[in-house]
Amino acid sequence: MAHLDIRQLQVGYGDKTILHGINLQVQKGEMIALLGPSGCGKTTLLNAICGFVPTQSGEVHIAGHEITQLPAERRNITMVFQSYALWPHMSVAQNISYGLKVRKIPKAQAHKRVLDLLSIVNLEGFENEKVTNLSGGQRQRVALARALAVEPDVLVLDEPLSNLDAKVRLSVRHELKALQKKLGFTSLIVTHDQEEALVMADRVAVLNQGRIEQLGTPEDIYQQPETPFVADFMGADNCIIYKTSEPNVQLHLPNRSTAQTFALYFRSSATQVQAFSNSKNEAGLTLSGLVEQTAFLGQQYRHTVRSGEQVLQADSRECWPIASQVSLFVPPQALHVFDLATHETSNAFQSNLRG
Amino acid sequence: MRASTSNLLLIGPAALMVVALFLYPLFFSLVSAFTQDDLSFTLDHFVKVFELYSNDIKFTIIIVLSSVVLLAILSIGIAATLTLSPFPKLVAVLALLYRLPLFIPFIVAAQMMRTFLAKNGLMNNTLVAMGVMTPFETISLLGWSGIIITFVWKQLAFSTLLISGAMAALNRDQIQAAQNLGASRLRILVDVILPQVMPTIGVALVLSTVTIMSVLSVPLMIGTGSPTMITADIAFRVNSYGDYPVANALGMVSYLICAGLAWFYLRQSLKDKGALS
Ligand SMILES: Nc1ncnc2c1ncn2[C@@H]1O[C@H](COP(=O)(O)OP(=O)(O)O)[C@@H](O)[C@H]1O
Ligand SMILES: [Mg+2]
Repeated sequence: MAHLDIRQLQVGYGDKTILHGINLQVQKGEMIALLGPSGCGKTTLLNAICGFVPTQSGEVHIAGHEITQLPAERRNITMVFQSYALWPHMSVAQNISYGLKVRKIPKAQAHKRVLDLLSIVNLEGFENEKVTNLSGGQRQRVALARALAVEPDVLVLDEPLSNLDAKVRLSVRHELKALQKKLGFTSLIVTHDQEEALVMADRVAVLNQGRIEQLGTPEDIYQQPETPFVADFMGADNCIIYKTSEPNVQLHLPNRSTAQTFALYFRSSATQVQAFSNSKNEAGLTLSGLVEQTAFLGQQYRHTVRSGEQVLQADSRECWPIASQVSLFVPPQALHVFDLATHETSNAFQSNLRG
Repeated sequence: MRASTSNLLLIGPAALMVVALFLYPLFFSLVSAFTQDDLSFTLDHFVKVFELYSNDIKFTIIIVLSSVVLLAILSIGIAATLTLSPFPKLVAVLALLYRLPLFIPFIVAAQMMRTFLAKNGLMNNTLVAMGVMTPFETISLLGWSGIIITFVWKQLAFSTLLISGAMAALNRDQIQAAQNLGASRLRILVDVILPQVMPTIGVALVLSTVTIMSVLSVPLMIGTGSPTMITADIAFRVNSYGDYPVANALGMVSYLICAGLAWFYLRQSLKDKGALS
């Protein structure tokens, strides 16, 4: 049985419904990433799990007990906030031990636990420091220690790394993951950064407009996106609408009729730039177009290529001159093919058409 | 050089207003309180003040302190309810109600309280009609308790406005963080909110003290005449005797009472800062 079990959860503010029928089962010791664009309801979902916003319908269970109506202070679910939410008038140790104080844990025992936690989050010797004197990364770790101090049933983290600068973010990301493996806490981590989700989570739930679009292992989500939105969000952000083979767009899919209208999503990194050639009958997608722009990315160059109406991105180690005519080739395993008849209403897809 | 000249010009008008409207009268009343007609130094006026009015000074201090203590308790209570209550409807009603006295002048408030608190006033009549009291048991609350009630009722809006503003400015996450560590609302108020809004509470109470010390209408309309508050005595000295020196000496005493409270507040807030760093 799942440790945290969310069933048909519907949550909103006032009359506005934000989350529509969320189902999510989290196993004990598992870390699930909630991934989605800004405003899709990630924070709202965490707030609902913590009991900060009332649910409109649906149930939340922890270890077999229903907690849907329980007030936040009786849930034993702690949150690491995006803003850290440390109390500026308390020292590091006071912040971390607050939950223990509330639970009337004897002082000596609480102090020992604070020291243990400080060493776990690599902040030995900081217990009497003012939290306002700490750097972002240090505050983040104090917030984490504070949330872990009470040994919560579930730890939820709301974009814990988004306020850190890029370098610190990478190291904290690894520390957090290592810590989660070591201590084995059950956690939900919210992020809008796909790489973060892939690296840290055991499973990833992609949210779009208050619904879970896909739930799966990082590999599944990355390699087999089930909807155009997931494909787009996971970085396959080249999109073309394929109707029939034309001279400059040719599609050959093994075991699949190409007589329908498809939306094709693929990564710029999986797109090969080749010298222009007219007839290619390889399996996969072949396009021809003109190089409009190039950008140096370090490992390779990113080419912006216009093919008819569509503008596509393709990476290559070679830098093709601007205005040269090239062929773009995408192998079949790198193509995410969506039948437009079944995926017509996806927003990601429409925004891509416009863009 | 030129920058400082233009700075002087910029603050000039404001500085002039402060000097003309505040420092000059302050200086003038200071001089008048300590000098005789021939401008020679004397403490006679203060001797007179303490002979005639020491009871009134005590009365004033007691009224101010009790009002400020009640104000602190009530406005923190209301502000905390506004910040922490899980019932949005209650919050909306309370937020509207507590502001009303802001728009009522002291003299009108005093008049209302007079008809409400008198022996056969609205409150007692209601209690009698409800059968809680018989007409013989009714007592008039006019006097010191009426003065305190009026001050608290009127100033409550102002201090609640300041304090609840400071509470609302706190990051909501800080409250939620305490909540999901298991803290009750009362604990959150004491441990998380109050320590952070203390400076504002101090400001609200000091400003309320100054207001209470300077209102004439309330002691005149609700008080019983003797003892009364310093403001009433000042008005009496000026209106009945044209005795400005003693009035100014009384003014000095009320300055001192305010300064005493302000000093207490400053010392407290410095101590808090010291404890933090
Ligand atoms: N307190 C609130 N009252 C009303 N609407 C809100 C509130 N908080 C968030 N929302 C709305 O809910 C939606 C989802 O917000 P949120 O869960 O914060 O998104 P995310 O964390 O995924 O960026 C947004 O459209 C936002 O405008
Ligand atoms: Mg958010």
